[in-house]
Amino acid sequence: MPPEPRGRSRALVAAIAAAVVVVAVLVVASVFLSGGSGTSSTSGEGGTALVDGIAQNGTVLGDPAATVTFLQYEDIQCPFCKQYTDEAFPSIVAEYVRTGKVKIDFRGLEFLGDDSNTALRAVLAAAKQDKAWQLIELLYDHQGAENSGWVTDDLIAELAGSIVGLDVERMDTDAQSAEITAEIEALAGEARQRQVGGTPWFFVGIGDAKPYPVQPQPLTDPAAFRPIFDDALAG
Amino acid sequence: MSDRALRLAVGAVALTGLAVAGYLTYVHYRPEALVCTSSGGCEAVQQSEYATLAGVPVALLGLLAYAAVLGLTIVDTPLTRTLTVAIALSAAGFAAYLIALQAFVIDAWCIWCLVNDVVIVPALAVLSVWRLKPVTVTEER
Repeated sequence: MPPEPRGRSRALVAAIAAAVVVVAVLVVASVFLSGGSGTSSTSGEGGTALVDGIAQNGTVLGDPAATVTFLQYEDIQCPFCKQYTDEAFPSIVAEYVRTGKVKIDFRGLEFLGDDSNTALRAVLAAAKQDKAWQLIELLYDHQGAENSGWVTDDLIAELAGSIVGLDVERMDTDAQSAEITAEIEALAGEARQRQVGGTPWFFVGIGDAKPYPVQPQPLTDPAAFRPIFDDALAG
Repeated sequence: MSDRALRLAVGAVALTGLAVAGYLTYVHYRPEALVCTSSGGCEAVQQSEYATLAGVPVALLGLLAYAAVLGLTIVDTPLTRTLTVAIALSAAGFAAYLIALQAFVIDAWCIWCLVNDVVIVPALAVLSVWRLKPVTVTEER
Protein backbone atom coordinates (compact mmCIF):
# COMPACT_ATOMS: atom_id res chain seq x y z
CA MET A 1 0.00 0.00 0.00
CA PRO A 2 1.24 3.49 -0.78
CA PRO A 3 2.05 5.89 2.09
CA GLU A 4 -0.63 8.36 3.13
CA PRO A 5 -0.54 11.57 1.02
CA ARG A 6 1.03 13.68 3.78
CA GLY A 7 3.69 11.06 4.36
CA ARG A 8 4.60 10.64 0.70
CA SER A 9 6.79 13.68 0.30
CA ARG A 10 8.30 12.99 3.71
CA ALA A 11 9.08 9.43 2.61
CA LEU A 12 10.66 10.66 -0.60
CA VAL A 13 12.83 13.18 1.25
CA ALA A 14 13.92 10.48 3.71
CA ALA A 15 14.74 8.10 0.86
CA ILE A 16 16.76 10.74 -0.98
CA ALA A 17 18.65 11.64 2.20
CA ALA A 18 19.43 7.97 2.85
CA ALA A 19 20.54 7.50 -0.75
CA VAL A 20 22.88 10.50 -0.58
CA VAL A 21 24.53 9.06 2.52
CA VAL A 22 24.81 5.55 1.02
CA VAL A 23 26.26 6.83 -2.26
CA ALA A 24 28.77 9.02 -0.40
CA VAL A 25 29.90 6.06 1.71
CA LEU A 26 30.19 3.78 -1.34
CA VAL A 27 32.14 6.30 -3.42
CA VAL A 28 34.51 7.16 -0.59
CA ALA A 29 35.04 3.45 0.10
CA SER A 30 35.63 2.80 -3.59
CA VAL A 31 38.20 5.59 -3.87
CA PHE A 32 40.10 4.69 -0.72
CA LEU A 33 39.66 0.92 -0.53
CA SER A 34 39.84 0.10 -4.22
CA GLY A 35 41.51 2.32 -6.77
CA GLY A 36 42.91 4.92 -4.46
CA SER A 37 44.96 2.77 -2.15
CA GLY A 38 46.63 0.20 -4.36
CA THR A 39 48.38 -2.65 -2.60
CA SER A 40 51.88 -1.34 -2.39
CA SER A 41 53.35 0.86 0.25
CA THR A 42 55.54 2.49 -2.37
CA SER A 43 54.51 5.86 -3.67
CA GLY A 44 54.54 4.93 -7.34
CA GLU A 45 51.74 5.76 -9.76
CA GLY A 46 50.34 2.28 -10.10
CA GLY A 47 51.97 0.08 -7.48
CA THR A 48 51.89 -3.64 -8.05
CA ALA A 49 48.13 -4.23 -7.99
CA LEU A 50 48.09 -4.95 -11.72
CA VAL A 51 50.16 -8.09 -11.38
CA ASP A 52 49.48 -9.10 -7.79
CA GLY A 53 47.80 -12.47 -7.51
CA ILE A 54 48.82 -13.63 -10.99
CA ALA A 55 51.00 -16.75 -11.21
CA GLN A 56 54.66 -16.08 -11.96
CA ASN A 57 57.39 -18.47 -12.96
CA GLY A 58 60.70 -16.72 -13.32
CA THR A 59 60.15 -13.94 -15.83
CA VAL A 60 56.85 -15.41 -17.01
CA LEU A 61 53.60 -13.84 -15.86
CA GLY A 62 50.40 -15.84 -16.18
CA ASP A 63 48.95 -19.30 -16.18
CA PRO A 64 51.75 -21.79 -17.01
CA ALA A 65 49.14 -23.83 -18.90
CA ALA A 66 48.44 -21.00 -21.37
CA THR A 67 49.63 -22.13 -24.80
CA VAL A 68 50.14 -18.60 -26.13
CA THR A 69 53.20 -16.75 -24.84
CA PHE A 70 53.79 -13.05 -25.50
CA LEU A 71 57.49 -12.24 -25.39
CA GLN A 72 58.37 -8.66 -24.51
CA TYR A 73 61.91 -7.44 -25.17
CA GLU A 74 62.26 -4.40 -22.95
CA ASP A 75 64.79 -2.14 -21.34
CA ILE A 76 63.61 -0.72 -18.01
CA GLN A 77 65.05 2.66 -19.03
CA CYS A 78 63.21 2.78 -22.35
CA PRO A 79 60.49 5.49 -22.30
CA PHE A 80 58.40 3.71 -24.95
CA CYS A 81 58.43 0.58 -22.78
CA LYS A 82 57.06 2.66 -19.91
CA GLN A 83 54.37 4.17 -22.15
CA TYR A 84 53.36 0.71 -23.31
CA THR A 85 53.39 -0.57 -19.72
CA ASP A 86 51.30 2.34 -18.47
CA GLU A 87 48.74 2.48 -21.26
CA ALA A 88 48.27 -0.82 -23.10
CA PHE A 89 49.68 -3.40 -20.72
CA PRO A 90 46.96 -3.06 -18.00
CA SER A 91 44.20 -3.99 -20.46
CA ILE A 92 46.28 -6.85 -21.85
CA VAL A 93 46.80 -8.22 -18.35
CA ALA A 94 43.12 -7.85 -17.49
CA GLU A 95 41.79 -9.35 -20.68
CA TYR A 96 44.32 -12.03 -21.58
CA VAL A 97 46.62 -12.79 -18.65
CA ARG A 98 44.27 -12.79 -15.67
CA THR A 99 41.83 -14.80 -17.71
CA GLY A 100 44.48 -17.49 -18.28
CA LYS A 101 44.53 -17.11 -22.06
CA VAL A 102 48.04 -15.72 -22.52
CA LYS A 103 51.23 -15.66 -20.48
CA ILE A 104 53.82 -12.90 -20.84
CA ASP A 105 57.58 -13.40 -20.77
CA PHE A 106 59.77 -10.42 -19.87
CA ARG A 107 62.91 -10.67 -21.99
CA GLY A 108 65.04 -7.99 -20.39
CA LEU A 109 67.73 -6.06 -22.23
CA GLU A 110 70.22 -3.49 -20.92
CA PHE A 111 71.61 -1.81 -24.00
CA LEU A 112 70.74 1.72 -22.91
CA GLY A 113 73.33 1.96 -20.16
CA ASP A 114 74.38 1.28 -16.59
CA ASP A 115 71.01 2.05 -15.05
CA SER A 116 69.48 -0.55 -17.38
CA ASN A 117 72.01 -3.11 -16.22
CA THR A 118 71.43 -2.43 -12.52
CA ALA A 119 67.67 -2.59 -12.98
CA LEU A 120 67.77 -5.75 -15.07
CA ARG A 121 70.03 -7.49 -12.56
CA ALA A 122 67.52 -6.74 -9.81
CA VAL A 123 64.58 -7.87 -11.97
CA LEU A 124 66.22 -11.16 -12.93
CA ALA A 125 67.19 -11.73 -9.29
CA ALA A 126 63.59 -11.06 -8.21
CA ALA A 127 62.50 -13.50 -10.92
CA LYS A 128 64.29 -16.24 -9.02
CA GLN A 129 61.67 -15.65 -6.31
CA ASP A 130 58.85 -15.25 -8.84
CA LYS A 131 58.48 -11.56 -7.99
CA ALA A 132 59.99 -10.01 -11.11
CA TRP A 133 56.77 -8.46 -12.37
CA GLN A 134 56.11 -6.52 -9.17
CA LEU A 135 59.61 -5.01 -9.44
CA ILE A 136 59.19 -4.27 -13.16
CA GLU A 137 55.95 -2.38 -12.46
CA LEU A 138 57.56 -0.39 -9.66
CA LEU A 139 60.68 0.43 -11.68
CA TYR A 140 58.59 1.76 -14.57
CA ASP A 141 56.57 3.81 -12.06
CA HIS A 142 59.82 5.41 -10.92
CA GLN A 143 61.58 5.63 -14.28
CA GLY A 144 64.00 8.58 -14.43
CA ALA A 145 65.90 10.29 -17.22
CA GLU A 146 68.03 7.92 -19.27
CA ASN A 147 71.38 7.14 -17.62
CA SER A 148 70.93 9.85 -15.01
CA GLY A 149 71.86 7.41 -12.29
CA TRP A 150 68.26 7.03 -11.18
CA VAL A 151 68.54 3.27 -10.51
CA THR A 152 70.29 3.63 -7.19
CA ASP A 153 70.82 0.94 -4.58
CA ASP A 154 68.50 2.92 -2.32
CA LEU A 155 65.73 2.93 -4.94
CA ILE A 156 66.09 -0.81 -5.54
CA ALA A 157 66.07 -1.41 -1.77
CA GLU A 158 62.98 0.77 -1.32
CA LEU A 159 61.04 -0.82 -4.17
CA ALA A 160 62.08 -4.39 -3.40
CA GLY A 161 61.32 -3.84 0.29
CA SER A 162 57.74 -2.98 -0.56
CA ILE A 163 57.13 -6.26 -2.40
CA VAL A 164 55.44 -8.73 -0.12
CA GLY A 165 57.22 -12.09 0.02
CA LEU A 166 60.44 -10.93 -1.64
CA ASP A 167 63.66 -11.74 0.24
CA VAL A 168 65.59 -8.53 -0.54
CA GLU A 169 68.91 -9.75 0.84
CA ARG A 170 68.77 -12.85 -1.32
CA MET A 171 67.77 -10.73 -4.30
CA ASP A 172 70.75 -8.40 -3.79
CA THR A 173 73.14 -11.34 -3.61
CA ASP A 174 71.64 -13.01 -6.69
CA ALA A 175 71.74 -9.74 -8.63
CA GLN A 176 75.53 -9.69 -8.43
CA SER A 177 75.97 -13.37 -9.30
CA ALA A 178 77.76 -14.75 -12.34
CA GLU A 179 74.57 -16.64 -13.13
CA ILE A 180 72.66 -13.39 -13.66
CA THR A 181 75.53 -12.01 -15.76
CA ALA A 182 75.32 -15.10 -17.96
CA GLU A 183 71.55 -14.76 -18.15
CA ILE A 184 71.84 -11.15 -19.32
CA GLU A 185 74.35 -12.14 -21.98
CA ALA A 186 72.10 -14.97 -23.13
CA LEU A 187 69.14 -12.57 -23.41
CA ALA A 188 71.20 -10.13 -25.47
CA GLY A 189 72.34 -12.98 -27.71
CA GLU A 190 68.79 -14.21 -28.14
CA ALA A 191 67.67 -10.67 -29.06
CA ARG A 192 70.45 -10.39 -31.65
CA GLN A 193 69.58 -13.76 -33.12
CA ARG A 194 65.89 -12.79 -33.32
CA GLN A 195 66.83 -9.44 -34.85
CA VAL A 196 65.16 -7.38 -32.17
CA GLY A 197 65.35 -3.87 -33.57
CA GLY A 198 64.59 -1.84 -30.46
CA THR A 199 62.42 -1.84 -27.38
CA PRO A 200 59.75 -2.71 -26.76
CA TRP A 201 59.81 -5.51 -29.33
CA PHE A 202 57.32 -8.32 -29.30
CA PHE A 203 57.08 -11.97 -30.33
CA VAL A 204 54.26 -14.46 -30.05
CA GLY A 205 54.91 -18.09 -29.24
CA ILE A 206 52.28 -20.77 -29.64
CA GLY A 207 53.10 -23.95 -27.78
CA ASP A 208 56.59 -25.15 -28.69
CA ALA A 209 56.60 -23.49 -32.11
CA LYS A 210 59.24 -20.90 -32.93
CA PRO A 211 58.04 -17.43 -31.78
CA TYR A 212 57.18 -15.01 -34.55
CA PRO A 213 57.61 -11.23 -34.41
CA VAL A 214 54.61 -8.89 -34.21
CA GLN A 215 54.51 -5.11 -34.46
CA PRO A 216 51.37 -3.71 -32.86
CA GLN A 217 50.85 0.02 -33.45
CA PRO A 218 50.32 2.22 -31.58
CA LEU A 219 52.00 0.69 -28.57
CA THR A 220 49.76 2.63 -26.25
CA ASP A 221 46.48 1.24 -27.56
CA PRO A 222 45.28 -2.15 -26.28
CA ALA A 223 43.13 -2.43 -29.43
CA ALA A 224 46.33 -2.80 -31.47
CA PHE A 225 47.22 -5.92 -29.49
CA ARG A 226 43.86 -7.67 -29.38
CA PRO A 227 43.89 -9.01 -32.97
CA ILE A 228 47.38 -10.41 -32.35
CA PHE A 229 46.24 -12.31 -29.27
CA ASP A 230 42.93 -13.35 -30.79
CA ASP A 231 44.66 -14.72 -33.91
CA ALA A 232 47.18 -16.62 -31.79
CA LEU A 233 44.43 -18.03 -29.58
CA ALA A 234 42.47 -19.11 -32.63
CA GLY A 235 45.55 -21.10 -33.63
CA MET B 1 -0.51 2.85 -14.55
CA SER B 2 -2.26 1.05 -11.71
CA ASP B 3 -0.49 0.48 -8.42
CA ARG B 4 -0.52 -3.28 -9.04
CA ALA B 5 1.08 -2.85 -12.47
CA LEU B 6 3.75 -0.58 -10.96
CA ARG B 7 4.50 -3.14 -8.29
CA LEU B 8 4.81 -5.87 -10.93
CA ALA B 9 7.06 -3.62 -13.03
CA VAL B 10 9.37 -2.94 -10.07
CA GLY B 11 9.52 -6.68 -9.39
CA ALA B 12 10.27 -7.47 -13.04
CA VAL B 13 13.02 -4.83 -13.28
CA ALA B 14 14.54 -6.07 -10.02
CA LEU B 15 14.46 -9.65 -11.34
CA THR B 16 16.24 -8.54 -14.53
CA GLY B 17 18.81 -6.69 -12.45
CA LEU B 18 19.23 -9.74 -10.25
CA ALA B 19 20.02 -11.83 -13.34
CA VAL B 20 22.58 -9.35 -14.72
CA ALA B 21 24.24 -8.75 -11.34
CA GLY B 22 24.21 -12.50 -10.70
CA TYR B 23 25.97 -13.11 -14.00
CA LEU B 24 28.55 -10.39 -13.30
CA THR B 25 29.15 -11.84 -9.83
CA TYR B 26 29.62 -15.31 -11.33
CA VAL B 27 32.13 -14.11 -13.93
CA HIS B 28 34.00 -12.18 -11.28
CA TYR B 29 34.99 -15.54 -9.87
CA ARG B 30 35.04 -17.36 -13.23
CA PRO B 31 36.48 -14.78 -15.69
CA GLU B 32 36.70 -17.32 -18.51
CA ALA B 33 32.87 -17.46 -18.56
CA LEU B 34 32.57 -13.76 -19.46
CA VAL B 35 30.85 -13.11 -22.77
CA CYS B 36 31.69 -9.66 -24.08
CA THR B 37 31.75 -7.52 -27.18
CA SER B 38 34.82 -7.74 -29.41
CA SER B 39 36.27 -4.59 -27.87
CA GLY B 40 36.99 -6.65 -24.76
CA GLY B 41 36.16 -3.86 -22.36
CA CYS B 42 34.24 -6.14 -20.00
CA GLU B 43 37.42 -7.91 -18.93
CA ALA B 44 39.22 -4.63 -18.35
CA VAL B 45 36.37 -3.33 -16.20
CA GLN B 46 35.74 -6.60 -14.40
CA GLN B 47 39.42 -7.06 -13.59
CA SER B 48 40.04 -3.44 -12.64
CA GLU B 49 40.82 -2.57 -9.06
CA TYR B 50 37.45 -0.80 -8.89
CA ALA B 51 35.58 -4.06 -9.46
CA THR B 52 35.82 -4.78 -5.75
CA LEU B 53 35.06 -2.64 -2.76
CA ALA B 54 36.99 -3.65 0.35
CA GLY B 55 37.37 -7.08 -1.20
CA VAL B 56 33.67 -7.46 -2.02
CA PRO B 57 32.82 -7.59 -5.73
CA VAL B 58 30.74 -4.56 -6.73
CA ALA B 59 28.54 -6.95 -8.73
CA LEU B 60 27.76 -8.83 -5.51
CA LEU B 61 26.64 -5.56 -3.89
CA GLY B 62 24.28 -5.09 -6.84
CA LEU B 63 23.01 -8.63 -6.47
CA LEU B 64 22.22 -8.05 -2.80
CA ALA B 65 20.51 -4.73 -3.57
CA TYR B 66 18.25 -6.31 -6.20
CA ALA B 67 17.45 -9.20 -3.87
CA ALA B 68 16.51 -6.67 -1.18
CA VAL B 69 14.26 -4.75 -3.60
CA LEU B 70 12.52 -7.97 -4.60
CA GLY B 71 11.89 -8.85 -0.97
CA LEU B 72 10.64 -5.33 -0.20
CA THR B 73 8.32 -5.43 -3.20
CA ILE B 74 6.73 -8.67 -2.03
CA VAL B 75 6.09 -7.24 1.45
CA ASP B 76 4.17 -4.11 0.47
CA THR B 77 3.94 -1.46 3.20
CA PRO B 78 4.65 2.30 3.22
CA LEU B 79 7.97 1.57 4.90
CA THR B 80 9.06 -1.04 2.32
CA ARG B 81 8.16 1.37 -0.51
CA THR B 82 10.33 4.06 1.08
CA LEU B 83 13.17 1.62 1.57
CA THR B 84 12.86 0.50 -2.05
CA VAL B 85 13.19 4.10 -3.20
CA ALA B 86 16.22 4.60 -0.94
CA ILE B 87 17.93 1.52 -2.39
CA ALA B 88 17.02 2.42 -5.97
CA LEU B 89 18.28 6.00 -5.63
CA SER B 90 21.46 4.79 -3.94
CA ALA B 91 21.97 2.38 -6.83
CA ALA B 92 21.36 5.19 -9.32
CA GLY B 93 23.92 7.46 -7.65
CA PHE B 94 26.53 4.70 -7.46
CA ALA B 95 25.79 3.66 -11.05
CA ALA B 96 26.57 7.22 -12.16
CA TYR B 97 29.91 6.97 -10.35
CA LEU B 98 30.63 3.60 -12.02
CA ILE B 99 29.85 5.05 -15.45
CA ALA B 100 32.26 7.92 -14.75
CA LEU B 101 34.93 5.40 -13.71
CA GLN B 102 34.52 3.50 -16.97
CA ALA B 103 34.67 6.71 -19.00
CA PHE B 104 37.49 8.57 -17.29
CA VAL B 105 39.55 6.19 -15.15
CA ILE B 106 39.40 2.64 -16.49
CA ASP B 107 38.97 3.87 -20.05
CA ALA B 108 36.99 0.80 -21.08
CA TRP B 109 33.31 -0.02 -21.32
CA CYS B 110 31.65 -3.15 -20.00
CA ILE B 111 28.43 -3.71 -21.91
CA TRP B 112 26.84 -5.75 -19.10
CA CYS B 113 27.65 -3.01 -16.60
CA LEU B 114 26.19 -0.38 -18.94
CA VAL B 115 22.96 -2.34 -19.35
CA ASN B 116 22.70 -2.35 -15.58
CA ASP B 117 23.84 1.24 -14.96
CA VAL B 118 22.06 2.96 -17.85
CA VAL B 119 18.88 0.91 -18.25
CA ILE B 120 17.97 -1.27 -15.28
CA VAL B 121 18.99 0.97 -12.38
CA PRO B 122 17.38 4.16 -13.75
CA ALA B 123 14.22 2.19 -14.59
CA LEU B 124 14.10 0.87 -11.05
CA ALA B 125 14.60 4.36 -9.63
CA VAL B 126 11.83 5.89 -11.74
CA LEU B 127 9.35 3.10 -11.06
CA SER B 128 10.01 2.95 -7.33
CA VAL B 129 9.67 6.73 -6.95
CA TRP B 130 6.49 6.58 -9.04
CA ARG B 131 5.04 4.08 -6.57
CA LEU B 132 5.39 6.69 -3.82
CA LYS B 133 3.26 9.20 -5.72
CA PRO B 134 -0.48 9.47 -5.13
CA VAL B 135 -2.72 7.25 -7.22
CA THR B 136 -4.89 9.38 -9.54
CA VAL B 137 -8.21 10.07 -7.84
CA THR B 138 -11.34 11.48 -9.49
CA GLU B 139 -12.81 14.05 -7.17
CA GLU B 140 -16.57 13.94 -6.60
CA ARG B 141 -18.40 17.25 -6.49
